[in-house]
Amino acid sequence: MIKSLCKRTRFLTFLSFLLTIFFINNIDAAEGGPCKDYGDCDKFKYSLNDMESLQRGASTYINYCYGCHSLKYSRWGRVAKDLQIPEDIFFENLVFDKSIKPGDLMTGAMSDNSVNWFGVAPPDLTLVSRYKGDDWIYSYLRAYYEDSSKQYGVNNLVYPGTAMPNVLLSLQGNQRLVCKSVPVIANNGGEKRDENGNTITNEKCGFLEVQEGTGELTKEEFDTLIYDLTNFLVYVGEPIKATRERIGWYVVFYFLIFTALASLLYREYHKDYLK
Amino acid sequence: MSEIAGKLFSWVNDRLPIVNTFERHLSKHPVPSKVNFWYLFGALASVVLIIQIVSGIWLIMPYSNTEEEAFSSIEYIMRDVDYGWVIRYIHTTGASMFFAVVYLHMFRGLLYGSYQKPKELVWIFGCTIYLAMMAEGFLGYVLPYGQMSYWGAQVIISLFGAIPYIGESLELWVRGDYYISGITVSRFFALHVVALPLVLIALVFLHLVALHEVGAGNPEGVDIEEFLDDDGVPLDSVPFFPYKVLNALVGIGVFMTVFAIIMFFFPEGGGYFIEMANFQEANPLVTPDHIAPVWYYAPFFTMLRAVPDPLGGLIVMGSAVAIFFVVPWLDRSNVASIRYKGIYSKIALVLFGVSFLTLGYLGTVGVTEVRKTMSVICTVIYFAFFLLMPVYTKYEKTKQVPKRL
Amino acid sequence: MQDKDKTRRKVLIGLTSAVGLSGLPFAATPFIAAWNPSAKAKAAGAPVKLDVSKMQFGQQIQVSWRKQPVFIIRHTKESLASLQLTLPKLADPNSDLISEPYKGLFPTRSKSSEYSVMSGVCTHLGCAPKYFPEVEPKSWDATWSGGFFCPCHGSMFDIVGRVFKGVPAPTNLIVPPHMFEGSILTIGEDKEL
Repeated sequence: MIKSLCKRTRFLTFLSFLLTIFFINNIDAAEGGPCKDYGDCDKFKYSLNDMESLQRGASTYINYCYGCHSLKYSRWGRVAKDLQIPEDIFFENLVFDKSIKPGDLMTGAMSDNSVNWFGVAPPDLTLVSRYKGDDWIYSYLRAYYEDSSKQYGVNNLVYPGTAMPNVLLSLQGNQRLVCKSVPVIANNGGEKRDENGNTITNEKCGFLEVQEGTGELTKEEFDTLIYDLTNFLVYVGEPIKATRERIGWYVVFYFLIFTALASLLYREYHKDYLK
Repeated sequence: MSEIAGKLFSWVNDRLPIVNTFERHLSKHPVPSKVNFWYLFGALASVVLIIQIVSGIWLIMPYSNTEEEAFSSIEYIMRDVDYGWVIRYIHTTGASMFFAVVYLHMFRGLLYGSYQKPKELVWIFGCTIYLAMMAEGFLGYVLPYGQMSYWGAQVIISLFGAIPYIGESLELWVRGDYYISGITVSRFFALHVVALPLVLIALVFLHLVALHEVGAGNPEGVDIEEFLDDDGVPLDSVPFFPYKVLNALVGIGVFMTVFAIIMFFFPEGGGYFIEMANFQEANPLVTPDHIAPVWYYAPFFTMLRAVPDPLGGLIVMGSAVAIFFVVPWLDRSNVASIRYKGIYSKIALVLFGVSFLTLGYLGTVGVTEVRKTMSVICTVIYFAFFLLMPVYTKYEKTKQVPKRL
Repeated sequence: MQDKDKTRRKVLIGLTSAVGLSGLPFAATPFIAAWNPSAKAKAAGAPVKLDVSKMQFGQQIQVSWRKQPVFIIRHTKESLASLQLTLPKLADPNSDLISEPYKGLFPTRSKSSEYSVMSGVCTHLGCAPKYFPEVEPKSWDATWSGGFFCPCHGSMFDIVGRVFKGVPAPTNLIVPPHMFEGSILTIGEDKEL
């Protein structure tokens, strides 16, 4: 009797908790997300053990971003070591300032008056993947579009009014906002059709489309480039991340074994007074 | 050789009650023979306390408490110090786990009436520990000097400003500057690493001494002291060692597994344990888009927000914590455990739990009209649970408590 | 209690303690390792490079490597020849008492026949000895033929840093790892070592 009551109370708690969460989460969906006009951010799944991706990302970063954006908590030699790039090759190809030593911080290649060029100082990006999130970066770098009203002729759906020009324009090509005819979705989830069986369409705007032939890379190649770049930023945000997750398995495994043994021992002694 | 050691030991023991204390408070200390998992959180809390102290000492070494270097010294720990990341994640995870464990420990108290006579002092020391922990957690969160550290501290210190007459000068006095600067960080550092830990350790000691004087409780609310064997040991008890120790060891194993999973796989806890905005250095000129406290303050933060007037909010928030202290005198029931209390108590506790969790959730998200109404409702339920306790515990039908465990 | 139960308990106690104790070294590792020099300290202690071709003969310069003085001396032919004269005064002329990286290579004790490179930390209690190249009677040695004299406790070394007999310093000055690439001297790193 007591037990069943206790269970009922617990069940009640659980149920009301679930209801509350459900209720609140429904309201949550109405809010604008971090990717602003872009809608939901594209999901990004990092792969910190893919050295080639990280190496390509590092190269892209140093060639296209490092001119303005420092990585001031990170050290050159550490990046070379973690990304398994032999130090001489790394310094030969990626470090342009020959006075730099492996232990030096990546403090940037920009002079102090850069504030005047862009209106704001280009931020340090060592931790950008940690305060903006990888999804955001991955979406942001692919969401530039032509907008002649802006200073650099581009705007961004993820970060409207961004102060940064589209540095990768020549690679991506000229991306524009276009309108498209999209099928109207019926209540049953299928496409809505008129009496003649033709799909009813609606004009919708705000789609990103690259003008063909304007970029050096195809869409897939460009997406891979941004993937690698984002992957590198995830790495540089927390260089130990891959190691951390690897060690984690051993530690969790250790504690599971320990718990199992301890509970066997406890049960054994529990017999003494379980009468 | 062993003879000399034995002689030395008895020499010391004649002057310092080692054996007595050890037997009385550890090895032979009688504990109730039937308890459930709810009775493990006290032991776990002391484990986290030790973890926090050790990892904290190691974090002090490379940390720099200046305005210029506080933030970068954290990244220095995360990147340049060998295994610095392990130590820092132990400490950040430990902070959240400390609160999680203590909240569960406190809920156990409400569940089984662990505050009832003669355990009032144990409860009061416990509440004071919780209060000290809140201060300790807040001070610690300011130290990395990230955006959340800065703006969180800004909000909390502004609360002092709501106090009439002295508020503004008090605010300035606490900061020691016109904004939260290096000197503020430096003060908070001293309080966080020396002053409050001393207070916490002293309080934990008192909590335990008081507990051992009156004896640990059990989920049935039975007084085990009523039936003693010939040696004066309660019949329904087992010695602390090995039984309670082994029981705790299982709890510690499970706890450490959870701890390790969080620490190695989700150290940011989805932004609840380490907030994303705190990876940006403090900038007194730019407020982050979304200010939310860490999860363990969230319920009280929601109450603060639910009241439009800052002073009113401060009073509500303060009372929400202070009211815990008088619970022993609010509960008029003739039984301790929820198992034997009436239906009103059960409903009240469920509503309280749900409203507390909801308040917590609401504190971590932005404000909308619906949410504002919800936070007011939950705040009312929260206080009703305590303020109506004398009524519903007195006028409900309770069940007969058995004599033995 | 049955014997079977007793054995079971003993085995379980043994296993649990073994697993528990085996975790301790791993738990202690981060705390011990955190005291190693950090990446920042290592970067600050990175090898030092300098061009020594501009040094005059007989000149001694001092550079800082890992916040410690390192002496570099460009010897004249005469001073190297005069090393023989001080031999009877030396306590350990062949550096047998210390681990010498370039033992027997050149009389300079370095990787060069012309330059000496040595740590400027007295092996007695860590003062920095002073360079007195002149061959003339000194208050501390009437037959001084050039070398180092430590002002703290009067230890004496010859011009390549070998310690004299009967002074407080127990061993010769330490030669740090170094290498020459043309006239560029790198202190703190030797790719051949």
